[in-house]
Amino acid sequence: MNLSFLPPDMNWTCEPCGEKLQPGIVELQYVGSVFKVELPVCPKCGKALISEDLAIGRMLEVELLLEDK
Amino acid sequence: MTEILGNINSVCPECLAQIAGHLVRRGDEIVLEKICFEHGAFATTVWRGSPAFESWFRPKLPFFGGERQQAGKGCPYDCGLCQNHSQRTCTALVEITSRCNLQCPVCFADSGGTEPDPDIETLTRMFAQIVARTGGCNLQLSGGEPTVRKDLPLIVRLARLAGIDFVQLNTNGLVLSTDPDLSFELKEAGLSSVFLQFDGTDNQVFTALRGRPLLEAKCVAIENLSRAGIGIVLVPTITAGVNTSQLWDIVRFGLDRLPHVRGVHFQPMSYFGRFPDEFVPNHVTLPEIMSGLHSQSRGLLKVADFRPPGCEHALCSFSAKYLLGEDGHLMRLGSDKCDCTPISAEKGALTSIGVTARQWGSVAEFLPMAQHPPEDELGKFIHRARTHTFSVSAMAFQDCWSLNLERLQGCCIHVAQPDGRLIPFCSFNLTARNGRSLHRPQLRQKIIAT
Repeated sequence: MNLSFLPPDMNWTCEPCGEKLQPGIVELQYVGSVFKVELPVCPKCGKALISEDLAIGRMLEVELLLEDK
Repeated sequence: MTEILGNINSVCPECLAQIAGHLVRRGDEIVLEKICFEHGAFATTVWRGSPAFESWFRPKLPFFGGERQQAGKGCPYDCGLCQNHSQRTCTALVEITSRCNLQCPVCFADSGGTEPDPDIETLTRMFAQIVARTGGCNLQLSGGEPTVRKDLPLIVRLARLAGIDFVQLNTNGLVLSTDPDLSFELKEAGLSSVFLQFDGTDNQVFTALRGRPLLEAKCVAIENLSRAGIGIVLVPTITAGVNTSQLWDIVRFGLDRLPHVRGVHFQPMSYFGRFPDEFVPNHVTLPEIMSGLHSQSRGLLKVADFRPPGCEHALCSFSAKYLLGEDGHLMRLGSDKCDCTPISAEKGALTSIGVTARQWGSVAEFLPMAQHPPEDELGKFIHRARTHTFSVSAMAFQDCWSLNLERLQGCCIHVAQPDGRLIPFCSFNLTARNGRSLHRPQLRQKIIAT
């Protein structure tokens, strides 16, 4: 599976934990649908980094496609 | 056993005076009962079967913003909108002609053809007024039959120039079937979508409802619109004993014509016009359509798929959206359960404006990308969903028998007038049994219904 949500520069640190983020599989859930994507994840607390590009790009498009009237 | 569920206000079918009544349960039916002290008692079934009536609600925080008229005589006599109306405009409807090229035994609109068409100057002013008064909404061009106007592409262009992004044409499709160039001209002018009157999948239905076998013409119109890249919504008028057994057939017909056919929007027949004394209305109710879709599709669509609206009153409509997978599997999209906490009516309307425009509009711009499908899960979903989502919905209009003023006050579909007023659809079309209209200038003197 070719997952494309890792930033070119993986030099990110989780500020509360002080850990370097590592690639990890994350499940995105939105109104009943689940998508598995690879994102930078903190190995200690499990929080993931979602880049602005992803948030206002493909994630927003999915949100609009799933939105109820 | 009869159980009173609540009080309602309505009108007398004879004199259109505002009268009080109740919603009562009788077996698995919900009946609207009301009494006029001059003309007697009236009862109309407004809900039959599953889903349960008490499960079907979506409360809203009313919206009283925008330009409003003072309420004087009370609902439904002050429409325009009045200060008591609790929703903004989601779709403005403009009747661009009263002429029609199809003399149906039943008619959606006042297509008598006796009044002059509004001229371009008037329509230009109306589009500007719609934008100014609503702050932006979707537009439906209606009639009569709008395609009898030779200047229709110009009218579409003027609506777009006024700042209306989503322009939809409500049509029987006859001219679109005989004039293949018209679809391209309308696309170039900026038309997003066509609401195509489409009552069934065989000619018996068309002959019964429209007086002529029209299936072939409808199919040619769909082909022409598809080639031009205009989104198509199939709109059946559902009539007891005529096409209630074809609900799933119509949906399947539409699914077979994705991506250009974007959905099916059922409209149970309601009764506007003049009716004899012995007439008894026989409304097909929303739950009958939901459960009919469930049983006729053998569970491919389920009653539980459908949700009450976030924009208009809950009892006015239902909808669901599906994704047709590459393997032919139909997957319902959207939330698993209804948000039952009160939501802002204004927010619901704004969401509906966007969702409707995206679902019912053209997807032609995405089709060239179909050659290069992405490889990751999210990308694959987006790629397919851009072109292969399909909506199944219905709207139950109200007539003098079924009118519930609480529903009317939450209406978001408004008929624009040359003087700038925006009149809720069911109020605009409301007629007494003798054909007398509250808001239309005049009605032709024959039985019409939608």
